[in-house]
Amino acid sequence: MYTQIKIAWRNIIRNKRRSSLTISAVGFGLGALIFLWAFVDGAHFQMIENYTSLLCGHIQIHEKGYRENPKLELYIENSDKIIKQIKKIPLIKAITKRIKTAGLISSAESSAGVTILGIEPDKERLVSSISRHISSGKMFNKNDDKTIIIGKDLAKNLNVSLGEKIVIMSQALDGSIAAGAYKLAGILNTGVDEIDKGIALISHKAAEELFYMNDKTSEIAIRLKSAEYVKTASEQIKEKLKMNQNLEISTWEEISPMLQQWIEFDKGFIIVIVFVVIIVVGIGILNTVLMGVLERKREFGILLAIGCHRREIVCMVAWESIFLGIIGTIMGLLLGTSISLYFSHVGINLKLFANALNSFYIDSFIYPKLIATHILFSISSVLITSISVSIYPAFHAANLNPIEAIRSV
Amino acid sequence: MNLIKTINLKKTYITGKDITTDALKGITLEIDTKEFLAIAGPSGSGKTSLLNILSALDMPTSGKVLFENKDITEKDINQLADFRLNKIGFVFQSYNLINTLTAFENVEYIMLLQGRPTAERKDKAEAILKRVGLGNYLNRFPNEMSGGQQQRVAVARAIAAEPKVIIADEPTANLDSKTAGLLMDLMLELNEEKGITFIFSTHDPMIMKKAKRIIKLKDGLIEK
Repeated sequence: MYTQIKIAWRNIIRNKRRSSLTISAVGFGLGALIFLWAFVDGAHFQMIENYTSLLCGHIQIHEKGYRENPKLELYIENSDKIIKQIKKIPLIKAITKRIKTAGLISSAESSAGVTILGIEPDKERLVSSISRHISSGKMFNKNDDKTIIIGKDLAKNLNVSLGEKIVIMSQALDGSIAAGAYKLAGILNTGVDEIDKGIALISHKAAEELFYMNDKTSEIAIRLKSAEYVKTASEQIKEKLKMNQNLEISTWEEISPMLQQWIEFDKGFIIVIVFVVIIVVGIGILNTVLMGVLERKREFGILLAIGCHRREIVCMVAWESIFLGIIGTIMGLLLGTSISLYFSHVGINLKLFANALNSFYIDSFIYPKLIATHILFSISSVLITSISVSIYPAFHAANLNPIEAIRSV
Repeated sequence: MNLIKTINLKKTYITGKDITTDALKGITLEIDTKEFLAIAGPSGSGKTSLLNILSALDMPTSGKVLFENKDITEKDINQLADFRLNKIGFVFQSYNLINTLTAFENVEYIMLLQGRPTAERKDKAEAILKRVGLGNYLNRFPNEMSGGQQQRVAVARAIAAEPKVIIADEPTANLDSKTAGLLMDLMLELNEEKGITFIFSTHDPMIMKKAKRIIKLKDGLIEK
């Protein structure tokens, strides 16, 4: 065995041009795969981060039935107590509560349907990035019950500017009409139609007063230290709150199944790409190794003639492919990870496609993200392929008739 | 003592649909140790077929080949490979060196296949190449050597394996007469020095003269 390994290694060293060709096929194939997967993972990470950080959060808690039927009556009792119970979970970064209901917003000139959101601004800014999207004006403070913030498209529709009066109307918890006038303190520009056209923000205190929701809230929104911990954190929260059977704990994937489906579709797509790359790399390697075997037909004939066993020829060709596969894999790994790491710092500029990307919660600059399991999968797939495709050429070489092979040119 | 014995050896090739060629029609011969034997005959007489069978590169259609009283026609493919590696040395007409190995590496290669230790391989390869007059050509590649030099490397490779017999199929066919003569003299010296049996095929009368015994073939049979 050691002799075969030694001979195989020598064969690789002596055929530098052929070896370089095979190594390059493996290396560039794997490098491209690692980079492509890191690019897609980076885009997904951005999608999730942008979506969850804009308003949704990683996890939300509601009264049971609220998600199917979001009405004020399905409020959470003792929300502060619940928050206190789950606050100490290490994976949780920040928690806030919101009152949420549908209503009508009116200016002197126009009116529109909106979702009214009562927020705690000091806690909301730790959970979501909504306050950072105020393009003019500023966020109200938590005790402010006289001001309102709306999206830029809504402001345009209502033809209002900062400082002007806006009225919101809805139904209060007790069924009575809830109406209030507020001064426009800020205008949001998130780039997301749903928010810029359809959201009105007031303080949680103002919402409690308007809707008679004292010490009550519609939802508790939670931000984790990373989106990776969603499943674990969700289970820990459920465990902590298991005594309260009236609550439902939802992850962002359950709240926005469409986004999750986009991501799953992408993941399926990348697997297809992986297989295509593997097939292309495999064909490339097979072509090169087979070409090498055919070129060396006479040499294999001589080896068989002078007493080399057929299995030794198989081992020799197989070990050559193993060495080439390993070197190509190392090259591909270095290439793929270094390019990915570089662009993970500088980003890939896709401004040309900004409009399309924004609708998927992706920024114009994408930062590839290397994930160990994906790298390992890519490496193993390419390595196994490069070794497997050598089997046919190896057996072809081993089964040559030495007399005929020696005569070949 | 008999090294090789063949009993009514026949070889038929099927070259096309219903087309057969009887290359050997019943060869019975005995070859002793330390012989320097020429197999002579015109083209198509069966020389190469006979040598291929004697060297276990090919199997007869019928008949037996006894090597040191053991029938090699009963060996399986791996046993035949071992037999060739350890008992037979080859010198081909077209030298058949491995072009990407140096002279030294070509000679060392066969000992690598035999699993000999590094030091032994290196010392022996160097010594044998010096013996065949190529001490200054150790690191030359085949395309950097003349035909005669390449054939000497082939002889050195054959000897390095320490075989019982070296089989050379028209070893001088691609060489000029002077070089051919020098090669034959070298082979004769090695035959006497090391006691290795040499069996070579030729149709060159000048080369035939160098042999200690000549077996003449014609139309697949030994000429009486």
